[in-house]
Parts: sequence; C-alpha cells; structure tokens
Amino acid sequence: MYGGNSQFDGNAAFAGGGFMPSQATQTAGDHSFSPAKNRDSQTLLPLSVKQISEAFQSSDDKTNFLIDGVDVNNVKVVGILFNKAERVTEVSFVVDDGTGRIDCSRWVNEAVDAKEMEAVTNGMYVRVHGHLKGLLGKRQLVAYSVRPVDDYNEIASHFAEVIFVHSYNSKLRRQQDSSSMSGQVPSSAANTPLKGYQASPSTQFPGYNMDGIRGVDKMVLDYLQQPSCLAREKGVHRNELAQQLKVPSEKILEAIESLESEGLVYSTIDEYHYKSTANG
Amino acid sequence: MDTSNPAAFVNAEFLKEHVGRRVRAVVQVMQSDGDTVIGKSTDEKQLVVKGYPPNPLSTFVEVIGIADTTQSIQAETWTNFGDTLDVTSYDKVCRLANGDHKHLFI
Repeated sequence: MYGGNSQFDGNAAFAGGGFMPSQATQTAGDHSFSPAKNRDSQTLLPLSVKQISEAFQSSDDKTNFLIDGVDVNNVKVVGILFNKAERVTEVSFVVDDGTGRIDCSRWVNEAVDAKEMEAVTNGMYVRVHGHLKGLLGKRQLVAYSVRPVDDYNEIASHFAEVIFVHSYNSKLRRQQDSSSMSGQVPSSAANTPLKGYQASPSTQFPGYNMDGIRGVDKMVLDYLQQPSCLAREKGVHRNELAQQLKVPSEKILEAIESLESEGLVYSTIDEYHYKSTANG
Repeated sequence: MDTSNPAAFVNAEFLKEHVGRRVRAVVQVMQSDGDTVIGKSTDEKQLVVKGYPPNPLSTFVEVIGIADTTQSIQAETWTNFGDTLDVTSYDKVCRLANGDHKHLFI
C-alpha cells in the first residue's frame, strides 16, 4: 500500500498533514506504518543458529543485522527446545538446532499466547518464528510463534531451505556487485541491503541504463564508438558491421533499430550508413 | 548464543569424518535390545547406536551424540521421528551439510 519510496505517506494520512512526526507510529507492535521499515524488506529468512551468530551487525541505530547482504528481520529456526522458564508475562527458552543454541523469549500477553507456550515442553522439536535482536552484544530471538514440529520431514525441509536461501542470496549479491556499472542506478535497492529472497526477484532496469542494452546492441555501439569510426563522416555501412562483428545482418538491423530509437546512433548518407551520436 | 557444541549431520559415509565429535543421525531401527540399537542409516548402511532408547521406539529415530567409532554413535539424545520419513531428502541434506554448505552448519 505505502510501499516504495513513499515513506512518509503513512504518517501524512494519519496525523498532522505530514508536518509532525506522528505519535501513532511509535507504538510497539505497529510495524506497518513505521517510516524506516518498508513492508517489502520484512521477508522471512530460514536460518541456522550458526548463521545468526555470524550475522553482520550494521552500525545503524536500528540494530539491523545483515546476512548474505540481506536485511534480517523475521527469522525461522527449527530445533530442540530446552531451558524453558516461565515468568509472569514472558517465557524464555533456548533452541538448539544442531548448529548452535540461541536464547529466545516469547511475550505472553493473551491466553492464546500462553496456550501456545504450554503446548511446548523441554526436549521437543519446535519451529520458532521471531525477530532477531541484539541485546548487550548477545543475539536473541524475540519469538512471536512457537509451534511443535509434527512431521519430522520438516527438519530436512528447513535445512534444505536454509541452504537454498543462502545460495540464492549469495548469488543475487554477486550479480548485484558485478552489474553496478555506469549509468543511472535504477532503484534504491542498490544502495541499501538487498530485498533478498522473494518469490519474484526484481532486477529490472529502466531503458536508458547501459545494462539494459542487449549484447548485440552493445557490440554495434562499441564498434561505432571507436575513434576511427567516429572520424568517418559518412559513418559505417551496416554490412561492415555484420562482417566485422561476425553477426548476421538481421541481428545488426535489429540492433541498429533499437539503438536509433534510443538516440544512440543515426543514419548518415543513406539508410545503410550509421554513426554513433557520441562525440568520442 | 552459543555455537561451541554443534552436532554435524551425518549418515554412515560422513560419520567417518566426525569420529570423536558430536553428531546427529537418523536411523531406521532394525533391531533393539537393552542398551544397543542396530539401525540402517539414511544411506542404507548399518550403524550401531549405544545408549538407552526411549520406549516405545518408533521406526525412525534421530540420535544426537558422540561418534565413538566409524560405525557407532554413543547417543545422548533420542527423538522418535515416527514411522514414516523421507529418508532420501534427509540424506541429501546430510550431503549438502557436509559439502559446500558446511559453513552454515559447523
């Protein structure tokens, strides 16, 4: 609803016409209108405790963690629960998933929360969903869901997901690094942590960006931008392009059409001769 | 937050690499008497698990303990995994966890 760059629209709609920071956004569980957190960036990451222990803590005042270049908010961990300790409004416990142990805490404010926690006991395999928090240098999971595992295929499934998401995010990160060339950087995603694992990754670039130009187009453009070609008043015949680049004429024609529509080349003496619009 | 005592995912093949260390394995119970369980690992080889299994014992059980030889585990924790389990998936995860993705686990 308020996604993308319209970070303060939520505030404007609910208080003071946008002039005053809204008191409404300061309430504890109200993440959806928080200006700093866009819904898109709150993905769920299945993780191993080892990954959590190695997560990079960015020095923001937001205490954000980064794993594989992705903002860590919601986390899923599957392991054995133990050291369950019940206090008045909170239940604390530890989850051991075979890669490490992490302290967890579950706030119990309503009957449904208490009932959920009663169903889990020490020694049981559980699936925990929660937020990763750093408290006094220690990493802790503030759980909002703790459920027993019924089908033990979930163990293999969870770790397969952990491996997959890690591979996916690492690959995305490598692509992001290698494709940050000149030209307009299309979205704010390039300067902030990646959105990470989502069902349909968004890596679209606007038309003007050099990355958007296909291979052949780029080859043609590069050829035409050579000093020797730029110097030629009559430009380059398209047969020469086909011959020199060893690309079929039809492809050259397509490339020229697309470059011409972008305003990057123009025809000179006739429709067969082209020059790059760059000055060189 | 403590990653000092991890348990590596093993099948019979990878058990050899973790002798003396804490491991976790799923076995299909073939025979159980008193303080030993003879089981079939997820890669179809025989493993011996020492310790006192829970009663009743389901067909598949996960054991976490110390690998004392290349073919046996001294179990500390037993978890009944039920009578049906997708052994192939678990085995594949074992391979991945001991291969390229080891750094995510131990």
